[in-house]
Amino acid sequence: MDKKTENKVKIINKTFESVKRDNKSIENVSLEEVAKELSMPLEELTSFFLTVEDIYLNEQLRNNRRIERYLESGLSKIKTANDAKALFENSIRVYVESLEDYADAVLAATFYIPKCLEERNRMKAYLKKTFKTIIKKGWPGKIETVLDRQTDLCVLSFYGLYEYCARANKKERKDIAEDFINMLNLHLQDRLFF
Amino acid sequence: MVNSPAKLKDRAVKGAVNNLRKDKRVEAINLALIANELDVTLEVLKNYYSSTEDIFLKAQKKDWDSLHRYWDKRIEKAKTPGDYKEAFEFFFERFVETLSDDADLMLEMSCYLPACIKYRERNKKKVKKKFFSLIKKGWPGKEDKVLKRQTELITIVFYGFIDHVVHIKKAERIKLLSDFRNMVNLQLQDRKFF
Repeated sequence: MDKKTENKVKIINKTFESVKRDNKSIENVSLEEVAKELSMPLEELTSFFLTVEDIYLNEQLRNNRRIERYLESGLSKIKTANDAKALFENSIRVYVESLEDYADAVLAATFYIPKCLEERNRMKAYLKKTFKTIIKKGWPGKIETVLDRQTDLCVLSFYGLYEYCARANKKERKDIAEDFINMLNLHLQDRLFF
Repeated sequence: MVNSPAKLKDRAVKGAVNNLRKDKRVEAINLALIANELDVTLEVLKNYYSSTEDIFLKAQKKDWDSLHRYWDKRIEKAKTPGDYKEAFEFFFERFVETLSDDADLMLEMSCYLPACIKYRERNKKKVKKKFFSLIKKGWPGKEDKVLKRQTELITIVFYGFIDHVVHIKKAERIKLLSDFRNMVNLQLQDRKFF
């Protein structure tokens, strides 16, 4: 890790450490305070982030881009239905495993900070489109309306899982991810859907 | 204008929500602003609320208390597995039916403001406990471990459902509810669970 990246990571970690330590809401954290705690000149800190909200958005984008890259790369390699199923399952594992310890703080911001809310909506639309493509390939033969409805349920369930995992420890996250994948499999095996 | 305490409280909640809708940040809304808009003194409003966060917290509690009261009445009357299943499903129906027009903003605040997040987590445990009891009685014969894991999953998807349902139109909510209930039922019919 180069010095610049190292400093950026330090800023992010210190910000969320401060949020979690004092149970603060976003407006009660300041860049000045973070710079002071890091013994870093404020000018250096603001060369990375102009506001605390930028730090939250950066974290949200980092998580989202990681899973997007994983899904896009996987999609380009899919040849069989089993490949698609494996991509669907593994993308859930990858997402859950990559959540930071301060994921709960980031999650809270995604519900309210305008830029984060916008990114949340964009990601939700992306997941809906991508999951639909994967489900169509992995569980072929579903009619379009069923595919749409089942995809909606998968996406909303995925966001429920995200909320749970953001507040759970790593072991709990891993355990629930496997049960969750099994549950979605059961749901998607239902070809005609009700 | 003469205000009964209940009316004044309702108007205060509406006032806070209207300000949020006007693109105001929650940090920029204070009791003095709301009191001014309601044409009451700050002292009068302070008899009921200590801060804007307190307005959202009390509104959140009021909605859930009402839902729990209705739900408990159904649970108390249940005698057979069929009754418990109905009480389980009734909860989802009642939840969707009673969602207000401002449910999206109320959700955002409940996931963003620290006191509201705390309440949300406490309430989630309460909901999970009731789900556990209803699943045990409505779908008898499950091992305790299975029951716990399935309850966890149902709670997770329910919270994902909340996030989704508050952002769609009323007519679409009913359709989604029907699909959601079917997915949950399919999951619970799996007695031995993986």
